[in-house]
Amino acid sequence: MDEEILQDFLVEATELLDQLNEQLVDLENSPDDSNLLNTIFRGFHTVKGGAGFLGVSSLVQVCHRAENVFDKIRNQEVAYDADVADVILRAFDQISRIIGELSDGVREFDDIDPVLLDELDAIVKGEVQEAAQTSSAITVIPEVSLSLPDGVDPDGEISDDEFEALLNQRDQLLGEPSQPANEPKLQLPEGVDPDGEISDDEFEALLSQRDLLLGAEHKPQDLPQASPAVKPKPKAPIKKSAEPSVPAASKAAGESTVRVDTRHLDAIMNLVGELVLVRNRLLTLRSAEASLEDISNAVGNLDHVTTDLQASVMKTRMQPVKKVFGRFPRVVRDLARKLGKDIDLELVGEETDLDKGLVEALADPLVHLVRNSVDHGIEMPDVREDAGKSKTGRIVLAAEQEGDHILLSITDDGKGMDPDMLRRKAVEKGMMDEASANQLDDKQAFMLIMSAGFSLAKQVSDLSGRGVGMDVVKNMITKLNGSIDIDSAVGEGTRIKIRVPLTLAILPTLMVSFGHDSYAIPLTSVQEIFDYDANKTNTIDGQTMVRLRKKSLPLFFLAEWLRPGHFDDQRKGDKIVIVSIGNQRVGLVVEQVNGQEEVVIKPLGVMLQNIKGYAGATITGNGNIALILDLPGLIERFK
Amino acid sequence: MMSQILPRGTVDNDEEGFSSVTVRCVLFQLDSEVYGINVKKIREVLRVGQIREVPGASNHVIGVINVRGVIVTVVDGRGMYHLPAKQTDDDSRIVIIEIDDDTSVGLMVDRVIEVKDIPESCVDLMAENREGRSAYIQGVAHYQDNVIVLVDTDVMFSVVR
Repeated sequence: MDEEILQDFLVEATELLDQLNEQLVDLENSPDDSNLLNTIFRGFHTVKGGAGFLGVSSLVQVCHRAENVFDKIRNQEVAYDADVADVILRAFDQISRIIGELSDGVREFDDIDPVLLDELDAIVKGEVQEAAQTSSAITVIPEVSLSLPDGVDPDGEISDDEFEALLNQRDQLLGEPSQPANEPKLQLPEGVDPDGEISDDEFEALLSQRDLLLGAEHKPQDLPQASPAVKPKPKAPIKKSAEPSVPAASKAAGESTVRVDTRHLDAIMNLVGELVLVRNRLLTLRSAEASLEDISNAVGNLDHVTTDLQASVMKTRMQPVKKVFGRFPRVVRDLARKLGKDIDLELVGEETDLDKGLVEALADPLVHLVRNSVDHGIEMPDVREDAGKSKTGRIVLAAEQEGDHILLSITDDGKGMDPDMLRRKAVEKGMMDEASANQLDDKQAFMLIMSAGFSLAKQVSDLSGRGVGMDVVKNMITKLNGSIDIDSAVGEGTRIKIRVPLTLAILPTLMVSFGHDSYAIPLTSVQEIFDYDANKTNTIDGQTMVRLRKKSLPLFFLAEWLRPGHFDDQRKGDKIVIVSIGNQRVGLVVEQVNGQEEVVIKPLGVMLQNIKGYAGATITGNGNIALILDLPGLIERFK
Repeated sequence: MMSQILPRGTVDNDEEGFSSVTVRCVLFQLDSEVYGINVKKIREVLRVGQIREVPGASNHVIGVINVRGVIVTVVDGRGMYHLPAKQTDDDSRIVIIEIDDDTSVGLMVDRVIEVKDIPESCVDLMAENREGRSAYIQGVAHYQDNVIVLVDTDVMFSVVR
């Protein structure tokens, strides 16, 4: 396979699949939208074309059938109802899987589940028989490929000779379409002049036939080769063992390409030009006798240019939140159908941009929250009707930019949560005693569902039991320096709001230090800073607390943790930094506060990534290394 | 300091007298012993500058350094081989070892001696079943009156990663 063509194909196919995923669900809601139908048809067609060119025959098989089905639907011979949709969506999943494997480096594919292919064929054939003209040649495929003995892969590598032979074979077949001697019954559609120009459809058909031949020809060629050359045999087990590691590696890397508007690139180029000018200016200033004013002008200029450049480069990393949202119509549809619920999903603010890394990091928590809404939030249709609500439940997934944050919200009009019930549950589970449970206000009670080991479901369903609890969701969001807020009213529904910073790469921090060692505290969690005053502290049950506006907050002496042995009893001039960690506020005692600094997060090196309490490291203005604190982890480490 | 490169295909003067394949190694010293690491594994050798301690890290980790914008962990070579600790001095060097394309790690050594081509025939590979003591040691080379411990960097940094 030509790697370059393959990569182009993958980029295109991935984009098409993203769209298809949404369009297929849309179509179920508005089956008469002919534009949508045509778009979907073209989508499958394009993927098939590329797959055929690359010789991924299993992909061609599925796409072709899906295409046939949509051709029927387009001609209004088949209705796109939920049952057809189920089959089509399963076919779509197969296509996504193969595309995913292709990009993970897998080059050999099993045959598609014949049951699925049959079901697709049944949809096409079930209604109208004679229109199966284009598919007549294709229906041969399952027979041929199924008769392949196990272990022989139609997409395996072939030698030049084999390829030549195949080419010849194909030429022969194309030239003499009616030749009866050939086993695979290839048929050019009637009335086609083999030497004349061919239409797109005919070309497609031929491509498919060629793939069929490639598959069929392996049977006689590979088998005899297996014993003398021992080539295909050892290959299979090696591939097998290599497979699990390959996807794992590429999963970690995430998507490696991004599409950028050329205008962004032009803007960056322009700014880089400015940067060069500033550099030249500074270089001249160095050689000549420069006045302080000149220098400060140039430096001011440099400041501007780099700030703009930073913003522009950030923009190239921005992607519409649609990338995450796009999968939800499907998730909700499948889940609702499985549970027998009726649910409308509304997406708001899909065009909101956020950092590429965030888009990937938010996907899992959001899926979990949405599934929760479907599973636990929205009631069954009859229950809803009894409660005087419309049968169809509604979930709104919204995104909007709010300053330098993104606000995501998941709102359902389901049964809501009862704070009293949650309090009782917390006591039952032994998480707290009754008195402290009663002290929780409603918001805090709602947050209980985010605690580890607190499951709302009376029984664990396979839908919610995906190994990601709400506490994991919370941890993931906290890791992104975000926060979660829950609002709920019994009988009216629940709204979960997530706030995350726009970007992950650059972090506004508060620089603090102990002696020469500086640490960066994420600014989002810093609430206020004041001087340490021993008179304002008390020791309650062994824990030092600081009084702040009639509240006592736990106080932690960071120096004890971070510089054991360097302990300095003299606290004169120390500062207290009040930070919020989750829903808790604590005071951190530091020796010095050095002010705000925007830092670029760099991963800590090997052997250090598992230490709790650090989010990474950064290089400060004076060239030193500062460690970025991860407060939840730090508190956990020293508790 | 670079030792002369043995021409390929010529007969080396070792006892067996067959032409030798050599491994080019960076030789360094820890305590009184000489160690070697294949040059292919080494990106660069740095003087000891400012090292930032990381509270909470394991004992063998001295801290992190800034290598042109990348944060690199510095591991104490003495600690890895259970040798007594020693203050860094002017001879101390940090050998930057590549683990893979994206990750590297620094190994603090007492002194970097030279780059040498060691004939493979001089190397006694460590038996794999010797547990404990042979950790991080690929083999021992007896070459030109020297005993050189060949460091198995793959093992050294896969265990602790």
